[in-house]
Amino acid sequence: MTAIVLAATIGALFALGTFLLLRRDLIRVVWGLAIISQAANLYLLVMGGIAPATADSVPVLAGHGDHVPKTADPVVQALVLTAIVIGFGMTAFALVLSYRVYEEHDTLDVTKLGDRE
Amino acid sequence: MTALAATQTGADSSLVVAPMLVVLVTAVATLLLGRRPRTRAAVSLGGGVAYAVAVAAIDWFVVLAPDAPGIATYQVGDWPAPFGITLVADGLSAFMLTMVAVLGVSSLVFSTRHLPGGDGRSYYFPLFHFLALGVTGAFLTGDLFNLFVWFEVMLMASYVFVAYSGGAEHTRAAFWYVTLNLLASAVFLLGVGGIYASTGTLNMADLAQRLAEPAAYGLDPVPVVGLLGLLLSVFAIKAGLVPFQFWIPTAYRAAPPQIAALLAGATKKVGIYAIIRLSFTVFAGSEVAVDLGVPGTELAVDSPLSFVGAALFLMAGASILVGGIGAVGRDSLEGVFAYSSIGQVGFIAIPVAVAATTTSPELRQLGVVAALVYALNHTLAKGLLFLAVGTIRSATGSSRFDDLGGLAKRSPPMAIAVFVASLALVGIPPLSGFFGKFLVFDAAARSASAGPVIALLLVGSVLTIAYATRTWNLSFWGAQTPAVESAAIDRVQVAVLIVLATAIVAVGVGFEPVYEFASTAAEAALDTEGYVDAVDPTDASEVADSGASGGDHA
Repeated sequence: MTAIVLAATIGALFALGTFLLLRRDLIRVVWGLAIISQAANLYLLVMGGIAPATADSVPVLAGHGDHVPKTADPVVQALVLTAIVIGFGMTAFALVLSYRVYEEHDTLDVTKLGDRE
Repeated sequence: MTALAATQTGADSSLVVAPMLVVLVTAVATLLLGRRPRTRAAVSLGGGVAYAVAVAAIDWFVVLAPDAPGIATYQVGDWPAPFGITLVADGLSAFMLTMVAVLGVSSLVFSTRHLPGGDGRSYYFPLFHFLALGVTGAFLTGDLFNLFVWFEVMLMASYVFVAYSGGAEHTRAAFWYVTLNLLASAVFLLGVGGIYASTGTLNMADLAQRLAEPAAYGLDPVPVVGLLGLLLSVFAIKAGLVPFQFWIPTAYRAAPPQIAALLAGATKKVGIYAIIRLSFTVFAGSEVAVDLGVPGTELAVDSPLSFVGAALFLMAGASILVGGIGAVGRDSLEGVFAYSSIGQVGFIAIPVAVAATTTSPELRQLGVVAALVYALNHTLAKGLLFLAVGTIRSATGSSRFDDLGGLAKRSPPMAIAVFVASLALVGIPPLSGFFGKFLVFDAAARSASAGPVIALLLVGSVLTIAYATRTWNLSFWGAQTPAVESAAIDRVQVAVLIVLATAIVAVGVGFEPVYEFASTAAEAALDTEGYVDAVDPTDASEVADSGASGGDHA
């Protein structure tokens, strides 16, 4: 059950992010990026296994023999933490950049920014 | 724990971190010296030279010396693989690092003479070194997630450089570039997460070991092929292979020319490196039945490599055509060289595809050697050409063909250097490009689908001749325009171009040692067992069996 809810959530987040990415407004594009990277983070977290930790469900615990601690996989948590920090930095940069675009073009509408060439 | 940790010591292993430490210290030092332009430039250059020395030390002591081990590892914090962060320097990493060092120092010397935007841009040098740090980390890491992290370090610096010049057009280019790469990063994370879930490890050596014997670890390797496809698309974006090439012309035009040289010569090669490393060192050992049914390609249907090979053939072929045709019609120097860069990366990817689809070990090695030699040629030649664009732009204020003409008379040394680089792109003996092209054609001729591939390479070569000639005619011959007549061409910048041109000739004339280095690099790339042995990932189940107490490693 948890698995289905999480899968649906991740799918919905990716769909929403993709939808926003395709909008004309630059701020929405940045929102889309932020949501997609959060969806990727959530996906990464789920990849560590969502059932209570056992040697079968959590890869890194496979080596712990009988002493399985009652925690989820610590590796994915470390990975996600790193990914979140990087994602924050990138989102901040994208926001600053869209402000610059606004300053220079007086618009946030993608179609009015002109040809990409 | 201590017994495990004590195994990795010695001079070789600390050499592995040397280039990263040097470049990190230089980046921080130049950041602190932001208000003193002269000291900053001097420290920056010193750091660049120290970096080159560190890379040369790795080349010699780890790879080329008679009694060299061929591969050296550094386990950060003495945590044994696969629990800690592993850095690995082998022939392939060393070859790539050498290219970056040569181009990086040239670009730094060039930058100390003329900073785009003036001396007030105090963040130029720190960013330059952070870009180099990201590239170096990506070449040395032995861990898939750290590859992601180093990609981000490299990209973060390159984002700022694409927006560097500050015009409306550049900001727009930077926004597209950032958006595309953030999306690629999310896809990269999906690939990494999926591989972790299906194999239980991210350490490349451990991954190779597990994929070679999936039954022993209770793995199902089939999802890994699809995940490898996700990663391949991310690396293809970095390398600028069609259909992921569309960001290249705008981004290369927006970045300062000496950074465009690095983007084409170094960050693009990170994509190529990642494809070679993952396909041949990590995934080559796994056996999965893949039948794509693509006609004309020799499918070794027992490995993910056949999938990679088929995809690369299509992408590389399209790159050669799109890049070549695109370059012929551009109206500025950067435009031509950016499109040319798309075409040339196709020439690098074709032999990789040949190597991936073949079952013969000799041809596989030849393919990787050809790709490496061609990559070296592209780094030197395209680096020189972009630096020449910088020289021309800082002297005349423009790089559009309309404003240029008669440059050959204005500065014969620069003209000779650009001429040499153009000939190297075309592949005239005895320059580095001749051997690059020769090996690529050789590998293609021995592949199963020799006919169409050779025809494609020939078309690509003819297009190269067409745009190189056109560029030369429009900017170096003809009547001098007012901008060219009044140009004050910087001598040091021209000297850098001459040095690179000499390097192109030297690589071609003294090709034997370069070929040997490339062969050693290719052997290292194909030697999965050697890689696993050197990294020596502790098997998680062995740790439990030997009675080591549970929670220590997590």
